[in-house]
This record gives sequence, structure tokens and C-alpha cells, in this order.
Amino acid sequence: MPTLTIDNRTVTVAEGASVLDAAVELGIVVPHYCYHQALGAVGACRQCAVTILEGSQKGLKMSCLVTAEDGMQVSTCDEESRSFRAQVGEWLMTNHPHDCPVCDEGGECQLQEMTIGSGHGIRRYRGNKRTHTNQDLGPFITQEMNRCIQCYRCVRAYKDYCGGEDFGVMGSRQRVFFGRFKEGPLESDFSGNLIDFCPTGVFTDKTSRFKTRYWDLQQAPSICPHCSLGCATLPGGRYQQLQRVRSGSNRLTNDSFICDRARFGSDWANHPQRPREARIDGEKAEFSVVLSQLEERLQSLVDTYGGETLRLLGSPRASFEANLLLKKLAVRFGAPTPCYDAHPRRAFAARAAGSIPSGQLASLQQLRASDLVLVAGVDPLAEAPVLALALRQVVRAGGRVVVLDPRPVELPCEFEHHSLTQEALLRGLSAPEENELLESLRQQLEAAHHPVLVGGGDLLGGAGLLLLRRFSESCCGDSDCLIFPVLHGPNSYGGGLLEEPGERQRDLLEDLENGKVRALICLEADPAIEHPDPGRMQLALARLDLLAVFDHLPTHSVAAANIFLPTRTLFECGGTYVNNEGRMQAFAPVIEPGIPLEVSGGGGHPLRQFDSGVPGSAPHSAIHLLQQLLKDRQDLFGLRRQIVEEIPCLRDLDRLEAGDSGRRMADCGESLEESRLEIWAQEGELRLLPVMARYGGDQYSRLSQPLASRLQQPCLWIHPLEAAERGFGEGQRVVLRTAVGHFRLSLSCKEKMVRGRVMLPCLPGTPLEVFTPGGLSIPCQLYAEDDNA
Amino acid sequence: MICLGNFSAEIEIMKKLLLKKQIDAFRRKVAKTEHPRELVIDLLREIQDRNGWVSDEGVELAAQILGVTPIEVEEVATFYDKIYRQPVGRYPIHICDSICCWSRGGEEIANHLQQQLEIKLGETTTDGLFTLLPTCCLGGCGRAPSMMIGRRFYGNLSLAELDRIIEQLREEAKG
Repeated sequence: MPTLTIDNRTVTVAEGASVLDAAVELGIVVPHYCYHQALGAVGACRQCAVTILEGSQKGLKMSCLVTAEDGMQVSTCDEESRSFRAQVGEWLMTNHPHDCPVCDEGGECQLQEMTIGSGHGIRRYRGNKRTHTNQDLGPFITQEMNRCIQCYRCVRAYKDYCGGEDFGVMGSRQRVFFGRFKEGPLESDFSGNLIDFCPTGVFTDKTSRFKTRYWDLQQAPSICPHCSLGCATLPGGRYQQLQRVRSGSNRLTNDSFICDRARFGSDWANHPQRPREARIDGEKAEFSVVLSQLEERLQSLVDTYGGETLRLLGSPRASFEANLLLKKLAVRFGAPTPCYDAHPRRAFAARAAGSIPSGQLASLQQLRASDLVLVAGVDPLAEAPVLALALRQVVRAGGRVVVLDPRPVELPCEFEHHSLTQEALLRGLSAPEENELLESLRQQLEAAHHPVLVGGGDLLGGAGLLLLRRFSESCCGDSDCLIFPVLHGPNSYGGGLLEEPGERQRDLLEDLENGKVRALICLEADPAIEHPDPGRMQLALARLDLLAVFDHLPTHSVAAANIFLPTRTLFECGGTYVNNEGRMQAFAPVIEPGIPLEVSGGGGHPLRQFDSGVPGSAPHSAIHLLQQLLKDRQDLFGLRRQIVEEIPCLRDLDRLEAGDSGRRMADCGESLEESRLEIWAQEGELRLLPVMARYGGDQYSRLSQPLASRLQQPCLWIHPLEAAERGFGEGQRVVLRTAVGHFRLSLSCKEKMVRGRVMLPCLPGTPLEVFTPGGLSIPCQLYAEDDNA
Repeated sequence: MICLGNFSAEIEIMKKLLLKKQIDAFRRKVAKTEHPRELVIDLLREIQDRNGWVSDEGVELAAQILGVTPIEVEEVATFYDKIYRQPVGRYPIHICDSICCWSRGGEEIANHLQQQLEIKLGETTTDGLFTLLPTCCLGGCGRAPSMMIGRRFYGNLSLAELDRIIEQLREEAKG
């Protein structure tokens, strides 16, 4: 740990830190462009010059390239380095246009700040500036190359870090151009990171362009709700409208990168059909009236028929606090403990993940530092995109990635793919010593320095995750083999912790169908399509005396509800999610709830007429609504403190702050016994495996307008040889016959997928929504469209 | 990648850019090379020698032969100013505008050529014979002022020498 002195102030930094890092630590601003914490130093922009007075190399040096040494003396304000930086600032600005007033980056522009910081003020260059013709890079990003200062950060982020293959740097000298070979949408699933990494206005967010100036923007640290990884985000908005999402920074999880689904998939919060008014039997009513009606009806139901007739359903979308309050509500009415996922197998997978001791779970940071990762049953780009980025960093650092999965998995890096069916994978894990492939992998994992096992809850299920845990224990050589479970929702893990211990997999549907249940309360859950058998579930829901729904999305269950109470989105209230590795992370409110001005004013001038809306009639948070039912008047902080007192393993919950790196929860998971596998021999017949679609597979993406062009089109994946055997080809229209109905689809041949299966990317909001990922394969038959007609 | 959805049309374009035996020869080389990317200049040169310049299709063909993305080829093609990504005249003239040539009358040479050929820097004569391109150094500082026409280097230039060279090339073009 070297201790050095910069501008007469002393600081101790980590081994290997640069002088620039040390200056940042002291709060001394040394202007820089090409250096970025996540990308490292290249010394290209020459802006971060300082003078080293004492040290192994003396004189004017680039601070990003010099490693801090013990006893080093550094000056940032001597005449030599100051004038050098001013000169570099002037060079970098020779071609930069003076278009800040019309540039979307204005106000949050690193170039603006650091040019001022470099000391350059007045341009002396009188020549023509070089200009470029811009490219159309698709619906997400606007390019304005004239503003470029050639720091190369974009290409280092897009190509080197994220593995994008359609973006590069062309030309030389003044003509350097960052873009695509030909115009067209950027293909990477992480293209939006260009916006964060460009230090000036070359790449700006097309979806939020010219909406709000930075200084008018309401921003707060948040957590991405699109998958279970819990990436740090920084959403921003104004006038009740969520306008953009930037990547937050959390080195333990996503570092500084987020996927395009996270960045451009937040528009659901502004959806015109978002239900915002409380309703009783379809009639609008004031929320306090609805709430007291709900309480009365519940009370009379429980008084007449008993608490057993009431069921509650939490969800991976709802905050941990709201889910916990739901459990208290169940206690109050004498009802059984709520379910926390309408999909029983997914719920059990979350419980299984929660039962893995905290010390055996890997964070994304640990995963990035691994030298051998075995991915069992995860398609990262569909289920947890930022995991794919982490795997790329493993490969970049010389490590290896091995994937065992039936799907045609793609990754932005080289990897070994062993394509085998879900059943074969589960059978293999149940007796790895008898499986040649797994036995050889076990030996490799044992020999690795930092081995990590990634397991998909959707494909493996809870039973599979437990087997994976046992397998990981057999792989521990000199160092432990850590596990990185992937679940499906932002709070799946948290829900799993709240489930009733002891019981095996519970199915809400069975309870509903046996006729004893008269009322169901759904908290930000849509059992009507989240359950693996939506048809039966919808019938069962229709038979209930009372269906009460709390939600902020226009779902089937909201439409079917007897009592509906609108809730706030995560952008409008505080709360906590527990991510896939048991990390509790808080999110803060960003904007006020209410109809966005753009919706109420139709994009034009704000409304001139008065309307009947009463101030304060905007939705309340689910936490607040449940607290009202529980007669609990605490604020969020008080609530968290109370939770900590009641559940000791959540001891750090009350110390969370939005924007921090979160805190791992201590072990409090139940210990689950390994169970018999739910698999049987299924050879020789064609079976259908519903899988997660990369875009449009979750409710949020489907309702977000900017993602419209990327949404997966309905299709059926098949191995080309399997297709040929049946006389089918790419693009062929076929009829898929299953127990839940017939579907006309076109075939898409995928060479890397397993044989003997067809796969259907699930798409809520389309007729295909009757299929949900997270289950086992089901029997199916395929016909050419004509034969059937 | 060249993707016309029509295999024969694709072959036609490839044939225009390179002979089949040239393509086959490169494919054999690629198979033997650990990093096929290192062949990119040779391949672009070959395409340029046959066509006078490298079109977008040429870049795509090179990418296809080398098994890399078009942008990776384009990055190299646009880095070097002796790979022409736009059509040029039969005799592309690179005039050095670097400091050694400048100090020995390079500007005069450039002006004289522009007058004689009646074009500006970056332009091509109407007869399609000459294109004037400034270049930053030809590595001939000891024989400044210098220029390069096609792949031939000319040093210690004088105005008279310049006129003679141009006249000679015009004659050559006629014959």
C-alpha cells in the first residue's frame, strides 16, 4: 500500500493504483478523457499530465500511466504541467464545434468540465474545422462525429469490453471516424453504453434526446428490474415521465455497464394504458374507499369462512419490504404464508438459491475474476445479459467459459458449448461421477484457481440448483468453487426467503382448484400468465369470490380484478430488491407518480382545462397501501429497522442507501433436502421447451416503446437436421400442436441447439403468452401448415 | 458480407473484383495462416491492382476471404492513404507536404502540378488520367521535394522534371 504526496497532501492507495487514482482519491481534479476506471489507461489523450518530483521516473508524466509508489512526490499545479495540460486542451478543442447550446450532452459533458479544468479558454486556431458525415446508427443512438476528440473510449467500450463486432475506428490523423462499416442499427446488446462512455456529445441517447436538460433532470440511484442481477442504474425523468436510464456504478455487480434492455426498456412506467385509478368491480373509486372496502370484505370473508380461504401472492417484481408486509397481512387475517411466485417451479428455484450459504455464492465481480466458469442451463443474453459481459471479461483475461445448455446460446466471446437436453443435464448433475463430460469438467474446476459455477433457476429448477451446489462442493480444490445462481426476477431471491419453510413446492393453482379458496390478493403479480398453465389458472381466478390486485402494469389479472389498487413503480417509491446472489440493494424514488405531462398534454402545451383529479390522488406505493391495511404508520426507514429486529439475517437492511454497493444478507436460508428429480425418460419424441426471449420476454420490455424494433418475432427454433428429417426448411410455416392449443409459426433453424427439441421464445402480450419459461419440456407435434389445413 | 440473396449474382461481383484463381490462392493462404488478418493489405492491394480502387464490395469480399468482419478490413483500408476507397485516375500522384519537402520547395511543386493539370488537390483530371493527393511523408526526405505516382517514387524534383514526367505519362497512356 504505497503512500504518496500530491500537492503537499498525503494519501495511501491500493497496490497497483495509478497516480491519477490517487489524485481522484484526494479529490484533486486532473483532467482526463481516455482513462476510465472500467477500461483502464492507454495514455492516448495526453490530458492528465502531472509532474513527478520524487519517484523512479521524474518529470512530466501521464498520471494515468504511472503507478503510485511509496514516497512519491507529485505536483499538479506547477507551471510546466499546468501549461502542458492547457496546450493539450487547446489541441483537443481545435476541431470541436461550439454547439454546446444545441448539444444534448451540455451540462453533463466531461469535455466541457475538463477543458475548463485544463485551463484552456480562448481558441487561437483560425483554420477550418474538420467535419464528418454522420451515420444512422438505429433507434437508440444519435451520432455527431464533429464533436469527437478521438479518445477511443467508445471503441474500447463497445468492441473490447462488450464484444460488439460491428463498430470500429476508421481513417487516420484528422480523419479518424468511429462508426459502422455501413449505416444501420448497432447490433450489440450493449450498444447503449456508448452514451455513458463517450466523454462528449458524439453518441447521445436518441430516445431521450432534447427532452430535458441535465440540470432540470430528476435523477436518483436505482436498481434495474429487468432480470435478477440487480445492476445499478441511474434513471432520470421530469414532469412525471421517466425519460432515460444510465448505468450506475457498482463494482460488485455490473461495474459501469448495463444492457440495452435495461437502458431502453423503462418506458413501461409511462405507458398510456398503465392503470392509475383504484376500481371496485370495474368502477372507479377513491383509493381510501377501495382500501376500506377491501378490508371489510376480507374481514367478513375471514369471519365467515376462516383465514384458510384467503390466499396471497407476492412477486419477484415487488420490493422486498412490500413482499414482507404481505406476509404480515397473511398473519393478520390468519391466511397461509403467501406464495412469492405464481410459477411453482420458479418459486422453488428461488428457495433453493436462498438455501446456498452466503459464502458459497459468487458476485459478478468475483465471476469476472474467475479463470474457469461452467455455465449450466443459462442463456445469458436472454436471462441475464450483463452476465454475458462478465463472461467476456473472463475470456479476455485468459480464462475459459464452458456452457452446458440445450439452447443455441450466443455470447460475445469464445466459449465451449455442449448442447444437451434439460433432462440430460439434470440427470448428469444427479450423478456427475457417472457422466464423462461432467467428471472431466469437475477435474478442470478442481484444478482452476477461481472456479465459478453458474446455474439457471429456470432450466435447472430448485432441484437442479441443489444438485449444482453438491457438484460445486465436489469441485473445490485449493480454492472454493463458488456458485452464481440466475433467477428470473429482480426480487426472486427475496421472495424465496419469505416462502413458508419446510414445505415442498407449492402450487397456488391446486389450492384454488380444490374450491376451498374464496379470495386471492395479488401483489404486483399476474398469475393469469405467470403460472405455467395459464388457461386453468384463468378459470380458477374467475371462480373466486374476491380477486384483489395491487399493480402498476396493465395485466390480465388487473382486468379481471374485483378490487384493484394502483401502485407506484420502482421509479416512484423507495424499496429494496435482493438480487440473485443475495445482495440487498436499495432504490430511491426518481420522479413523482402521476400522469406524465407528455401523455396528459398530448406532447404539446400542458393542459389548459381543469380536471377533476384531486392533488394527492396519484397512486401510492404498495408498501404504503399494505401499511394502511396493517395500520402501520412507520416510514420506510422505520420499517426496515423493524424488519431487522424481526429477521436477524437481514441485519444490514437498515444500513442500505440507494446508490451504495448493497449488502449481502447473512445466511438465513432454510436447508433444503435434495429431492427426487422431476424427470423421466423422454427419448425419441419431439418435445417443446418454452424459453426466455432476448427482447420482449418480460412484461417490461413489451410495454416499452423504444424496444419495439428489437422485440423478438414469434417463431419456433429447431435444429436444421431435425427440420430436414421432417422435410422442413428455414422459414417454413408450421403448425405446432400442444396440449394448450395449436399455433401457426415459422421455423427458425438453429445449428447450435440440441436435437429432439423445438424451442419457443415466450412472448407475453401475444397469443404465445400461454407458454412460460421456467418449466420442463412438454409433448408437441409439428405439421406443415398446408397438411393441417 | 456480400449478401444479395442470389448466389450467382454474388459470384459475378466477386469475379469482377478478382479472378477466381486469385481468390482461390488467397483462400489457400488463409487456410495456412494462423492470423489471416495479416493478409489484409496484400488482398486489398490485389483488388486495387485489378480495379484501380477498392469498393465497398471489395472490402466485403476481403472480409469474406479472410473470415473477419467488414469493419475490421475497413479499419485497415482507411488507415492507409495508398489504399483508395474512392475511384482515382489512372496515375494517382501523391505529393509530399511534409516539412522536409516543404522546406525544399514542395509547395511550389504542388502549385505547379495543380496549374498544369487544371485540378485542385484531391481532384481527378477530366480525362481520368491523374489524381492529385497530398501525403504526409514518403520516406524520401533526403531526396526532397518528392512525390509518388502509382508505386514509383520521384525525388529531387524540379518544375522542368515534373513537366517531363507528366508528358511522358500522357504519351504512355496514348500508346
